Amino acid sequence: MNAIEVEELRKEFKVHKSRSGLVGAFRDLWTRRYMTVRAVDGISFTVKQGEMVGYIGENGAGKSTTIKMLTGILTPTSGRIIVNGMNPHKEREKFVRTIGVVFGQRSQLWWDIAVQESFRLLKKVYRVPDEQYARHMSEVIEMLEIGPLLDKPVRKLSLGQRMRCELAAALIHNPPLLFLDEPTIGLDVLVKLNIRQFLKQLNERYGTTILLTTHDMSDIEALCERVIMLDEGKIIYDGSLEQLKEKWGQGKRVAFTFAEGKDASILQELTAGLDVVWKKGEQSNVWVAHVPSGGVPEVVSRVAARYALQDIRIHEVSTEEIVRNIYEEGAVHG
Amino acid sequence: MDKYVEMIRIRFLMMLAYRTNYYTGILIYAINIAAYYFLWAAIYGDKPSMQGISLGQMTTYVAISWLSRAFYFNNIDREIAMEIRDGKVATELIRPYSYLGMKAVQGLGEGLFRLFFLSLPGLLVVSLFLPLQFPENAHTWLSFSLSLLLSFVIYSELNLLAGVVTFFTFRNEGLLRAKRFIIDLFSGLILPVSFYPDWAQRLMDYFPFQAISYIPSMIITESFQGADVRDGLIVQVAWCALLLLPIGLLWRMAKKRLVVQGG
Amino acid sequence: MFYISVFFQYMAQYMKTKLQYRTDLLIEWLSDFMAQAVNLVFLLVVFGHTPLLHGWTRDEILFIYGFFLVPYAVFGAFFNLWDFNERYIVQGEMDRVLTRPVHSLFQIILERMELESLLGAIPGLIIMAYASVRLSLTFHWYDFFIFILLVIGGAFIYAGIFISLATISFFADARTSIMPMMYNISSYGRYPIDIYHRVIRYILTWVLPFAFVGVYPASYFLNKQEWYDYAFMTPVVGALFFAIAIMLWNAGVRRYRGTGS
Repeated sequence: MNAIEVEELRKEFKVHKSRSGLVGAFRDLWTRRYMTVRAVDGISFTVKQGEMVGYIGENGAGKSTTIKMLTGILTPTSGRIIVNGMNPHKEREKFVRTIGVVFGQRSQLWWDIAVQESFRLLKKVYRVPDEQYARHMSEVIEMLEIGPLLDKPVRKLSLGQRMRCELAAALIHNPPLLFLDEPTIGLDVLVKLNIRQFLKQLNERYGTTILLTTHDMSDIEALCERVIMLDEGKIIYDGSLEQLKEKWGQGKRVAFTFAEGKDASILQELTAGLDVVWKKGEQSNVWVAHVPSGGVPEVVSRVAARYALQDIRIHEVSTEEIVRNIYEEGAVHG
Repeated sequence: MDKYVEMIRIRFLMMLAYRTNYYTGILIYAINIAAYYFLWAAIYGDKPSMQGISLGQMTTYVAISWLSRAFYFNNIDREIAMEIRDGKVATELIRPYSYLGMKAVQGLGEGLFRLFFLSLPGLLVVSLFLPLQFPENAHTWLSFSLSLLLSFVIYSELNLLAGVVTFFTFRNEGLLRAKRFIIDLFSGLILPVSFYPDWAQRLMDYFPFQAISYIPSMIITESFQGADVRDGLIVQVAWCALLLLPIGLLWRMAKKRLVVQGG
Repeated sequence: MFYISVFFQYMAQYMKTKLQYRTDLLIEWLSDFMAQAVNLVFLLVVFGHTPLLHGWTRDEILFIYGFFLVPYAVFGAFFNLWDFNERYIVQGEMDRVLTRPVHSLFQIILERMELESLLGAIPGLIIMAYASVRLSLTFHWYDFFIFILLVIGGAFIYAGIFISLATISFFADARTSIMPMMYNISSYGRYPIDIYHRVIRYILTWVLPFAFVGVYPASYFLNKQEWYDYAFMTPVVGALFFAIAIMLWNAGVRRYRGTGS
């Protein structure tokens, strides 16, 4: 069975356009102008049970609108959604018992009371039997290492501690499907590592399906074999991360630090026929060459033979750059 | 000066954004005044006047005092308290204007908006079905306008004072609310001050509250005549000046405290 | 059954939270008390100048006011959604609420309840006791149950109106100050309804039925037989307005899920 099936999903919003200035504001009092915005524009995809999928896109690409439709908060304008075998916006109360949701910037814990009190309340809300709660949550608490935090009020926790507790709170009813909206935003590296480790364990042990949106590509690299990339409401890539890298991340970047400043045309001439793109580095004497795979030795030897060098550094192209490249160049079909 | 005018303009724009307010505000004001009218009519029964005020004057008094409230009322005390709590006040202090002055101007912007777009249309609606008595004497209108402006200054000064006090005491939503009720009660909004028992009236002479609502409303209903008008305005001006003192003092202490504690 | 157990769970959490801020509790109560004192002072001062208000005595009107405070306190404890727009729509907490398997209105009521408002009923009871002694009113054993019924009816009328107002946030994108103004209007139910023009009487009975929170039910205890029909209609009107509010709420949530504004 598929955890998520989405077909030709569409969501349109009517947005009020305000006129500028004081006079415009008065005119808005009487007549308003609206325009229709397509936040999600006919997307289709399926997620199998047990998959971990990264859902990425720039701000306003339609990520959170999709998540809100998948979690039953919003109703689609048109299209078909089946999540956990149900239609999310019908039978809402039954449906939400089968999913867990974490919004990175929004807390579901009560600010003033101890963490475990919030857990107890949520346990009641999700009607989790005592025995199941005890068994499942003790594991979750142990994996997230939040045992010592349970009797502290939420307002006394650091952001990282709170985020781990938020995750635990979303898992109280052991949902087979977990939605994470920017779960690592603002967290430091160690906490990020801890959370990624936990999500992997969760996926292995319970087969939990995870769909996460993030700005941090290292989250995706650490967790997801599959990414779905969104731009202006449309899916522009859906496939494995590996393939994405192979197709777009071929080649390397070589950063040369010259003894003195150079200009682009000389360097371009030097590497003519090698399909190299030169870009200026951070200092006037630093130039970065984007070299197709296999071309690095030739480029280095040509440059080193001709000019005095202070340093050479060779980088893999990062996923982040790949994504940026794709956005700069438009849609791909992977 | 430009920046203060700009701030008033921005406040206008903000107020316009709340457009449902605007439509319903007038209606609700009208219902409010009408209900007060019937309450007072019942209280008067067949007495021609109470405390030297006729029913017609009383109706005008109530209508005007609620209208005036729309002008002088503002929430700058709560805004200051909030900005102190969120630590925003530190960034406000490095801006090139007087923080308290800016707050007062914001209040003025809001007040002017409500005066022109809520109070005046509201008054028009109410005067269609209630027997309001407006003075024909231009002099009365002039005195009233001046008095109303002074009301705004005194009310805002009290709010600034309350706001600055929150530098020294935290968590005082409740205190600010209590302050509002005290002002509504003793300013003459709910009841003309002359209705209170003598001892209470003497006590209220020592507080600035009646300068906020009682004096302008008595002027416009022409319940104050001649020397009374002049004395009322003098009392208002005196309170305007007097209240500057504690504000300046506390504000200086607050700023010192802010520097020492780093917000 | 499930909803009742969730209710008690929330209540327990609420107590734990409130115990952390005990001084606030006192100040809040004092400022609530102050708000009531304003009205009381108005009544007392006015009756310093007139013995009768349209045939009603000072003590009768005090009794109505005292009665009004009780359903009002119940309303304040459970249905005070004055910051609904700010918290749930502007700050987006509504999304979180919609991902939980409990009716959204029920969740929000539980999250926003302020049980300390119930303390506001105490001055009301004291005022009623004072007035009934001075009026030498007599009560039957079943009057206690009628009292409870009328109080619940009144609280539901308040709840219905203010929940309906909160649903405006689902339909209009602007913030409104209707709520504070509605508090003003609500206070007219505390005076004898026959002093008003028939249009206002009609509004206070059928459109914004605040008269059912004060004067109508109180006249039962004051033995004003001519108002008995209205007094006994209080629970019916309460149920009706509450039902309308829930329907509006559900429609609002449907709309919210359509626009996600």
